[in-house]
Amino acid sequence: MAPIASLEEISRLVRPEMGELDRRIFSDQSIFDLEMERIFHRAWLFLCHESQIPRRGDFFEAPMGREKVLVVRQRDKSIKALLNTCTHRGNAVCRAEEGNVRNFMCTYHGWTFGLDGQLVGVPGKEQFFGEDLTMDKHPLRQVAKLEMYKGFVFGTFDETAPPLEEFLGRTGRLGLDFLAARDVESVPGIQKYVINCNWKFTVDNVFDWYHPQITHMSALSTGMIPGSNLTEDNNGAKTADGKDLGIKWRPTDLDNIAVLGEYGHAIAGESRNAAAVAMYPGNEWRDRPEVIETLGPIGRNVAGHPNIFPTTWVTNGAQLCLRVPRSPNKTEIWWFSFREKNKTPEENAALLTRQIHVFGPAGVLEQEDGENWVQSTMQTRGEVSREVPQLLKMGIGRGKIIKEDGLARIEASTNEYAQMWTYVAWREWMLGRDWDELKANTTPRDQF
Amino acid sequence: MTVQDAPAVSSDVVAEMVRLYLVEKFYRDEAALLDAHNYPDWVELFTEDTRYFMPLRRTMTRRELDKEFTKPGEMAFFDDTKDHLRARARKFDSGTAWAEDPPSRTRHLISNVRVLDDDAVEMTVESYFHLYRTRLKSVEDSWIGRRLDLLRRTEAGLQIAKRTVYLDQTLLLSGNLSNFM
Repeated sequence: MAPIASLEEISRLVRPEMGELDRRIFSDQSIFDLEMERIFHRAWLFLCHESQIPRRGDFFEAPMGREKVLVVRQRDKSIKALLNTCTHRGNAVCRAEEGNVRNFMCTYHGWTFGLDGQLVGVPGKEQFFGEDLTMDKHPLRQVAKLEMYKGFVFGTFDETAPPLEEFLGRTGRLGLDFLAARDVESVPGIQKYVINCNWKFTVDNVFDWYHPQITHMSALSTGMIPGSNLTEDNNGAKTADGKDLGIKWRPTDLDNIAVLGEYGHAIAGESRNAAAVAMYPGNEWRDRPEVIETLGPIGRNVAGHPNIFPTTWVTNGAQLCLRVPRSPNKTEIWWFSFREKNKTPEENAALLTRQIHVFGPAGVLEQEDGENWVQSTMQTRGEVSREVPQLLKMGIGRGKIIKEDGLARIEASTNEYAQMWTYVAWREWMLGRDWDELKANTTPRDQF
Repeated sequence: MTVQDAPAVSSDVVAEMVRLYLVEKFYRDEAALLDAHNYPDWVELFTEDTRYFMPLRRTMTRRELDKEFTKPGEMAFFDDTKDHLRARARKFDSGTAWAEDPPSRTRHLISNVRVLDDDAVEMTVESYFHLYRTRLKSVEDSWIGRRLDLLRRTEAGLQIAKRTVYLDQTLLLSGNLSNFM
């Protein structure tokens, strides 16, 4: 297949007016390469939570596109993010995932870098290099910018990127507030696994409230996921042996909110009102006065899933999931889990139990999700099947956008607005817009 | 070597051999249940107060190797009570657990069994495992690791009062963990 490069070709990959996508975006190597350059090399990316690295010398290795960066707590308690590549001959200066160090020594020739990345040691500097080498000219490279939003550390390689808070906008900040407002700290241990799917399937699934009653039907039998008997409407869905599936719609499906934000951030799913009616557990924190204040009059009724574009998902179960693209058909899933500082040990133990059992590779939900993502990715590779358009039609074109309290939202039943919004923004990033154009073109209008 | 040359076998050694035989037989029977996807019967091999725990493993330097595995109370891949194990068994048998329908083909190979401690009621037993799995036509996974079990002698025979699974991977190299180890 010829590489996709022209702007015109990229424009045609996402067709919101028809509710369709070109399936090649899930398997084409040239598109993946362009994503690395135009999205992951530019966007602010989540690196870690500051509570993961509390002490001087603590570090956590985070992915940024194809780069590995060491997020390091400095001697003055500030944080820096250093590229994990020796400035001499490229070797990794650190081969652990996390830990505590006084400095980073490259095991190739012994070049040694301080916590701040400065080159502090070169074996044989005087005898062999003499004047050939100037120590202060070869520090470990750093990200272009590093900023923190309420303890969540982000970095970007683009010096011209807007400040983090501006990039996040009201939508992205609200998404992170769903965690930050609970006053959280990191639970030790980041679940990491690799799955043979395109990263965009994992992101788009975050907003897909049409799939749980089918994909996750078996999870209801565990008693770990709240179910319902509200209505049943199979509308023709039958098993391979012709039996009715007995689909049970979720009680919140008729009362959804999709929040669409600049740069591609979005939040979609049930409203707090619907969740309260359905008595879903784990939303009590939202009713604390200081939380109501932080979330604001609109935000407090949003209880769906936020995605900070491109790949950071915040769950209602106090977890943050990072999707790390490795190739068109390979993605790493990193689960960061949190506990609330003002909860009792028993309450936090219950939260941890839920975090372990629902998501992750052994989670009663995510096992089935993964099977869908892998198979969907695989079927986009055939010469014929890749020409079948990918459909996102639910509600598209009839969504009335309400702008209030700095948020643009659509109130509707289950829908596919946030998925399509993500792809529309993806297209703008892929077209290589400058930051002003990008923001203007991803600012919601009156209808979507 | 003739029969006369064989070293005398003490009763202690015989007792140890019998104990090891019974433990290994227990593991062979357990593996057969797992590979037949008979999860309801497999769950009954665990005591009511059991804990099935699979910590996360992290690539750490030698000097910080004590932090390699997460501990109870921290994040894990599995941290199951018997009720959790029962719930997972119900899910497999619900008829709609798509990640295992069509079912995976699995083979549990258990070896290097060592009884590390025995107080006449409970034994601490280490075993190595190799779980080989294929799914659909082309998915192939292989997990190798070490299990540390607390086996209790009960009226129902040996039961697992605690199992900790130490996997020989840090970044998990498979798309899910829909099988038990």
